[in-house]
Amino acid sequence: MSNERQDVVLGHAHEADGIEEYDNKLPTWWVGLFFGCVVWAGAYLAWFHFVADTSQAKMYQEEVAAAALAWPAPTADQALAAAATPEAIEEGRKIYMANCVACHGPAMKGGIGPDLTDATWIHGGGLADVQKTISEGVPAKGMLSWGPILGPQKVAQVAAFVHSSGGGM
Amino acid sequence: MSTLTSASNHSGQAESGANVMTFDADDAMVKKFILASLTFGLVGMLVGVILALQLAFWPANLDLPWTTFGRLRPLHTNAVIFAFTGNFIFAAIYYSLPRLTKTPMWNQTLSQIHFWGWQAIIVSAAITLPLGFTQTHEYAELIWPIDIAIALVWVVFAINFFGTIATRKVKHMYVAIWFYMSMVITITVLHIFNNLALPATLTRSYPIYSGMTDALVQWWYGHNAVGFLLTTPILGIMYYFLPKSVNRPVYSYRLSIIHFWALVFIYIWAGPHHLLYSGLPDWAQTVGSIFSIMLIAPSWGGMLNGLLTLRGAWDRLRTDPIVKFWAVAVSFYGMSTFEGPMMSLRSVNSLSHYTDWTIGHVHGGALGWVGMAAFACFYYIVPRVWKTTLHSLSLATAHFWLATVGIVLYIVAMWASGITQGLMWRAVDEGGQLQYANFMDTVLQLMPFYWIRLVGGLMYLSGLLVMLYNIGRTIQTSGSAVVAAPPAAFAK
Repeated sequence: MSNERQDVVLGHAHEADGIEEYDNKLPTWWVGLFFGCVVWAGAYLAWFHFVADTSQAKMYQEEVAAAALAWPAPTADQALAAAATPEAIEEGRKIYMANCVACHGPAMKGGIGPDLTDATWIHGGGLADVQKTISEGVPAKGMLSWGPILGPQKVAQVAAFVHSSGGGM
Repeated sequence: MSTLTSASNHSGQAESGANVMTFDADDAMVKKFILASLTFGLVGMLVGVILALQLAFWPANLDLPWTTFGRLRPLHTNAVIFAFTGNFIFAAIYYSLPRLTKTPMWNQTLSQIHFWGWQAIIVSAAITLPLGFTQTHEYAELIWPIDIAIALVWVVFAINFFGTIATRKVKHMYVAIWFYMSMVITITVLHIFNNLALPATLTRSYPIYSGMTDALVQWWYGHNAVGFLLTTPILGIMYYFLPKSVNRPVYSYRLSIIHFWALVFIYIWAGPHHLLYSGLPDWAQTVGSIFSIMLIAPSWGGMLNGLLTLRGAWDRLRTDPIVKFWAVAVSFYGMSTFEGPMMSLRSVNSLSHYTDWTIGHVHGGALGWVGMAAFACFYYIVPRVWKTTLHSLSLATAHFWLATVGIVLYIVAMWASGITQGLMWRAVDEGGQLQYANFMDTVLQLMPFYWIRLVGGLMYLSGLLVMLYNIGRTIQTSGSAVVAAPPAAFAK
């Protein structure tokens, strides 16, 4: 870029408390950036809404469909069967220590939540009952619904652990 | 130095010499606004540091309702935006507008009402927010009686402001004044329409908009409060104080006109980018995104005009703390106005939204741009209105380095924290389950960054304390030193 005609003052200083102003040309790259962004904006609008039609609802449905394909949810029977193994019970112990200890205590003797080692099962002591209690929680007494947090597999594992080391029926 | 007085040689009209006035009355207001800004700046930034501590060390909430994070956070944001920055903007306008128009502020009584009314609003905010009285709209938390007071005081200021412009003694309106005008007009509209509500009791009201409409109006307000309180008036202030400080001509008048109109036209549409992936219709989200991208060049026009005005004065960057503050302020302005549009893209926003990245972004603008510009102006204005010289240049330089390093620590910590947070939230294990479904897992991971942020904030606050000491000592010597730039006089 040539520098001629650059740095010529306008002569407004007497009306701007002594501040002089040059009337330099707009930097070419700045003008390019400005128009480039405007063109991009139009192109993005057209692409998003008319060409690709990537609406928010459609994106959501596609992601959910892809997830269902990649990770099919185990049926309740599958989860119960998987929970019977010693490996699953060991996994359940780890999940218990990470998530349940705060309320039910490291020895499962209770605290904020009830004792899990005595013979009293407030919400039923069968494996399926324990799974249901963990999965849905007891919101009225402050127990979270762990199903959405842990997922069916981990819920089954931790239920197996609680069931295997708890007071039983 | 001579530029301050040269203006008085061209008053254009009858120079009888009989009615020579000075800006003493307006400068007295400037002093008040500066002292208010410094006081509330200290409070606002101290509360900010306490909040940073609370996030790293929860017992600092003190287990009292009034001191918990949820109540102190709006106190912090309101204090730094409306009390620190607000009073700083008013100080700079009361200083520069009379000088640019060769006209005293239109009505001294309105000036007084403006000042005391604004401080009363701040005090009432400082009382009601910790007590838990809130409208729960971000940056518009104050309850309806205070909102009405804000509207009234703002209109008083607007009358005084436009009265001065209407009676101005020069024809040309310098670019700084356009930027000031955009603030006065737009903030009036934003504040009134976002706070339309039906009062139920003295402390409670219901917004007239519901659901998504309320959210959209709120972020039209929230985004443009950033635009027209933290951006355009500060740009106007830059256009006056930066060339004054380096005594150089503004790089390009043409650029200033084009980037001004582009900025104010485009800014107002970008609010929906705060509501990406929400219940807002897709097309409205897209409007927010594309106007944000189109905003890059108009914003950078201001940065360019600032940086290129410093051409030929770069040697003073080594010696003059005011030039240092301006160079960093303008650079952070350029950085933040690029980062913001990037975050408004759907793909980036899906990672950055609700994370600490947003907190880092807003502090890049607030600490880096607004704060540094305010400090540059205080160091420029205080010696002039108190008619003395600055107590210590080296303390001002120390302030500069404390503030700059503090900002960098703050922002880098929040980038790292925000990206970590965003990635952990979306991580899934091989079974398709959330890898960190327990929220505490992500919180514990961020602790180191929260401590680094606290250190950065403490450095920034320490810099402010150094400035308060420096300015305090400067004011003590008021009138005792040879005036660097005599107060400009003009023919009435």
